[in-house]
Amino acid sequence: MIFREVEDRDLIAKARQGDVEAYNLLVSRWEKRIFNYLLRLVSNREDAFDLSQETFLKAYQNLRKLDDPARFSAWLFRIAHNEAFSLLRRRKPESELSEPRPRDFGGRMLPMELSLAVESALKTLSEDQREAVLLKVYQGFKFDEMAEILEIPVSTVKSRLYTALDLLKATLAPAVFRKDAGGAL
Amino acid sequence: MSCKLGDDRPDWKSYALGELDSRTRQEAEKHVAACDDCQDQLAELRVTLDAMATLREEELPRRIAFVSDKVFEPRWYQKLFLRPSFAAAMVIAAAILVHAFVRPAGVPVTTAAQVDTRAIEARVTAQVTERLQSEMATAVNAAVTKAVADTEKHDDQRTALLLSATEQRYSDAADFLNKQVTRMYALNTGAGVR
Repeated sequence: MIFREVEDRDLIAKARQGDVEAYNLLVSRWEKRIFNYLLRLVSNREDAFDLSQETFLKAYQNLRKLDDPARFSAWLFRIAHNEAFSLLRRRKPESELSEPRPRDFGGRMLPMELSLAVESALKTLSEDQREAVLLKVYQGFKFDEMAEILEIPVSTVKSRLYTALDLLKATLAPAVFRKDAGGAL
Repeated sequence: MSCKLGDDRPDWKSYALGELDSRTRQEAEKHVAACDDCQDQLAELRVTLDAMATLREEELPRRIAFVSDKVFEPRWYQKLFLRPSFAAAMVIAAAILVHAFVRPAGVPVTTAAQVDTRAIEARVTAQVTERLQSEMATAVNAAVTKAVADTEKHDDQRTALLLSATEQRYSDAADFLNKQVTRMYALNTGAGVR
């Protein structure tokens, strides 16, 4: 991980000097993570792809403003977060009408079904809660990094995340605990 | 059976998410080994997180437009600023501008120190001018003397050449006349002529 950070730093330094290939390499390293984060946040593949494109474009245009190259990942996710919430605010009235409801995940589930259940359960969370889960559980950021990305206090990060985990546990309980106990519950 | 620590029980969410420092983590592990309630709470959390881990990353539908693509091309002014020579020129220009604006404006000469400076300046200027004039006069005299000497030498040589040529011409003419006189004499006397 440390080695990777050093390499990213080198690539950033080269990209700042106009080395386009160095930036291309950075894009290829981070595009999948950024795309998946955005995909789970906006729940639409095309939108997630367009937002990924915008994120990398803005990152390239503002690369000289990045004070600490070691914080590149948090900085990049901050840009992605801004792009995503800009879109979510624009489409708010429509999404409010089609608010997903928690589904009944009763019965034993296959891994693919469980995966779909998780995807569905994530959609029942508020955008802020879902984003906290995505950054922590799927992207592995620390609380202080999340606070930096979201520009909120660490205490708020923990509050959103803990509430989200409680909701997910409640939503998934019928499915995961039946599966876990081999249908005994 | 509820945890005897109540609200002071370990933060199991932070524990499961890897946010506890090693000391707090060890204390939590020591506690959970003897607390059924915390064991249940931690197990539920782990099962939920395990279920969430079944969600796989998806592939991108197509590649992100790279820097070499049109969308990433820098604008003309960005390209210009990337050139080191242009950047250096801009820095120098900026420095000149700053100097021009920051430099203090001229102040009328009123102080004694400034008067002295002017007197010294005048004296030095006079000395330099005098010395320059002297040196220039010497140089001009030397040049004129040399030019006159060269001219005289040149004239002497030319005179000598002219004299020598004239002498030669007179000599040739005398020889010619002698020969003519000798031939006429021979014709008149009939001796030595064919």
